[in-house]
Amino acid sequence: MSFPGFYDLSGAWLFLLLIPLIIFYFLKLRRPRMDVTSLVLWQQVINDQRVNSPFQKFKRNMLLLLQLLLLVSVILAVMQPFLPTGADRANYVPVLIDCSASMGARDKPGGPTRLEVAKAQVEQMIEDLLPDQQLSLIAFHKTARRVTDFTNNKRVLRDGLRDITVTDIPSKIEEALRMTQAMARTVEINDVLLLTDGNFPTDADFELPFQLTYQRLDPGGRNIGITALNARRAGARKWEVFVRVEGSQKEQTAARVEWSQDGNPVGGEEVILEQQQTERLVFNVETDRPSMIRVQLTPEGFDALESDNVGYLDLPAGRDLTVYCPLEMKAFRHALRGLENIIVEPADGSGASELSEYDLLISDRPEDASPPAQVSLYVGVIPPRLKDLVTVESGGAEIVDWVKSSPLLQYVELTEVYSNDRPQSAPDVHDRHYEEAGFDILAHGRTGPLIVADRSGERPTYYLLFHTDNSTLPYRVGFPILVANTVQIATRQSSLSDVRGTTTGVLPARQLLTNRTYHVAGPGSISRDVNSDDNGIVAGISAPLVGEYALSEGGSEQARIGASLLSSEETSLTGTDTIQFRELSVAATEEKVKMDRPLWPLLTLAALVFLLAEWWYFLRRSGGMVA
Amino acid sequence: MESTESKSKRQLTTLLDNDVLARVERMRLNPTRRLTNRSRGEHLSGKGGASTEFVDYRDYSPGDDTRYVDWNIFSRLNRPYMKQFRHEEEMHVVVIVDASSSMVYDGKIERAKQLAASLAVMGLMNLERVSVYACHRKSGALQFVSGITGRVSMRRLFDFLENIETGGDFEIDEAVQSVLRRHTGRGIAVLLSDFFTFGAMDRPLNMLFSAGLEVFGIQILAPAEISPEVTGDLRFVDCENGATLDISSAGELLGIYQEHRLALQERIESLCRSRNGRFLSISSHDPLPWVLFDLLRRRGWVR
Repeated sequence: MSFPGFYDLSGAWLFLLLIPLIIFYFLKLRRPRMDVTSLVLWQQVINDQRVNSPFQKFKRNMLLLLQLLLLVSVILAVMQPFLPTGADRANYVPVLIDCSASMGARDKPGGPTRLEVAKAQVEQMIEDLLPDQQLSLIAFHKTARRVTDFTNNKRVLRDGLRDITVTDIPSKIEEALRMTQAMARTVEINDVLLLTDGNFPTDADFELPFQLTYQRLDPGGRNIGITALNARRAGARKWEVFVRVEGSQKEQTAARVEWSQDGNPVGGEEVILEQQQTERLVFNVETDRPSMIRVQLTPEGFDALESDNVGYLDLPAGRDLTVYCPLEMKAFRHALRGLENIIVEPADGSGASELSEYDLLISDRPEDASPPAQVSLYVGVIPPRLKDLVTVESGGAEIVDWVKSSPLLQYVELTEVYSNDRPQSAPDVHDRHYEEAGFDILAHGRTGPLIVADRSGERPTYYLLFHTDNSTLPYRVGFPILVANTVQIATRQSSLSDVRGTTTGVLPARQLLTNRTYHVAGPGSISRDVNSDDNGIVAGISAPLVGEYALSEGGSEQARIGASLLSSEETSLTGTDTIQFRELSVAATEEKVKMDRPLWPLLTLAALVFLLAEWWYFLRRSGGMVA
Repeated sequence: MESTESKSKRQLTTLLDNDVLARVERMRLNPTRRLTNRSRGEHLSGKGGASTEFVDYRDYSPGDDTRYVDWNIFSRLNRPYMKQFRHEEEMHVVVIVDASSSMVYDGKIERAKQLAASLAVMGLMNLERVSVYACHRKSGALQFVSGITGRVSMRRLFDFLENIETGGDFEIDEAVQSVLRRHTGRGIAVLLSDFFTFGAMDRPLNMLFSAGLEVFGIQILAPAEISPEVTGDLRFVDCENGATLDISSAGELLGIYQEHRLALQERIESLCRSRNGRFLSISSHDPLPWVLFDLLRRRGWVR
């Protein structure tokens, strides 16, 4: 048994008020006088009652007793007692509330969502908040949002809590923890409460500087959903679409999966999944223009989560890859000639390009003289941002190391590749300077980098700082592989080989008209305006909910993008037992967070009851017979 | 106004309406025992009397009045026998009115005076000797009208009752003893009081019984005494002696109060019965005609 503590013990001085209360009570105690014809009977009544009721004296001063109880209740409430629960009491407690898609799961039909359960717990914490404690509410999914600063204002906290809603986005806890770490710079944070259902990756790339209480909520009920949706090109106009359906880990689930293309039903299939089983559905679609595939899953019986029952896939128009490669770069054009579904420009003999934009640009000209492309490979060109860091001099250069996992250099053997161009790093320039400039070094020479990749921008850009015509690379086996890798990167970048369903969070950038304002309308009454940049790129469109997002200009729809959940963790509704941080792991607990329970609301209520009782007793006492 | 005045002028007394008085005049007291005086009256004595109604014979004793010898029997039996006749003796009706302060409340004393007038009138009209005592203050002189008889005394009776001085600390037990110190005569003693006394009632009742008076006890209580409506903490002040009593949660004590009130009633009734007396408790708000012509008649107090 734990004895109550008092937050404001100095309020005990108020007990001295009991003395004047008692004194004034007896000084002011005047009973209403009432003339009666005789005291004979009343005297007998009193004598009888005193014999039968040993508490007569006590009852005679009932009013005083009620006043004392009232005053004691008020004084105790002023002292702000609380019932300690044994937990260490922290002054600043950040509360991380998971609002990812799985928090919208219910455990039974009509039951509360996981987020509602979490909110109820936080509501109780807010109710039990002590005066020297402050909470900060942080809602997180893939990113984190600070809902309230540290405050003990219950109204602000309740308003903030009310604003937290479920988003159809998978969760990752690192962002929320980093935000908490940033908050720890201003206040001392020792304990952090994490309220989640645990549907996020087990490993967290974070060094935990505070104690984390990972309170895992009860999982939702039976669920089945779409966890992957992608397509692979199977011909000039044909696509193979792959759908992966996953169900609950502990129960058998069943559903009907139907797919449609641009709103027209294409097919459907029944799916029955045993425990821990997944089903992969494959179907073919043909299109010669951009098309949207919508896969709808209709569960049989109760389904805990709705947001994973639909998936969208945007298929681009089927076409050949367009490559721009100057006529002078004969080695590259020769290597490209052996690849299928490629249009290389300029055509032999014409010398002029017919397209304004290409999927792949291979050029030895400076960047500003080349046509725009999804993927660029510059040969013998120093990026403008590296001109201060590296120069190309004459002399022998040799590739001593390269990044074999890079998509560009995958399966490319660069040993014994020599070049007459020798990139020379400026004095005191090291690898980190290139990284700070936004470049990754893919191939190292003895005096400087030979191949770099520009990390900035949406479009991959590679630079060979030496010219292939001045090297032995075109004569090596790795050269056609390098060209094939470049084509493969461009094919992927242009979504010509395979496409994946767009997930919620942020929609992929879209190429539209330059410097225009587009209106975005999405599910859940999402409505906002976005501007395209100088290149016509519309990027950074937030998509918190599953559904179709339409981009329109002047009432005319320009593009439509479907966003899906497509998360195995969210659909499985199986929370991780342990979060593995860099140096330690945190196990989940299903016990509710222990907070010191304040007692003054009860005492205040008791004081009110005593006040009402005293008032009632006073009125009852003052009535009577008029003599 | 004028009609009211003319009506009051026509009333013989303010205590009783004329129609009530007319009915009362035709009624008689009905005592259980024949407690009478030796003087002649309208009550027949069990002993030999001088009336014309023959009762019995007895042997002649020397010195007897020879006028009452039955000579016919003497001629046949040659022995003198005395004829006995029913003796009509008068009965003394004593009415003791408690006029202390406790009776000056909610019509109690008024009802007591009306009952005293009614019962006394019954006695007067039956040619009894009637004495009325009013006791209000220990230190004060006893108010009384004594030994009146006949219709001619009715005016005197009413004047006395209408002008009784009220208010005081005379308790009924002491009042009875005080009355008996100056009263002689057998008959009926009517006690009109609330019987709220700290003293014991058995001694005065014994004295009444010993004095040959059959007790007619009538307890007159106000409705507020029968069913008091009091709540809270109060300080009761006795209107007779000024004594105080603090009561807490008076509302919760009403049940005990009723028990004690009924116990007092039963105790006095028991005391009266054991002395061949009668007891009755009425409310000061009970209608007088109902009390006189219904209640008392049904109980056999009057006929």
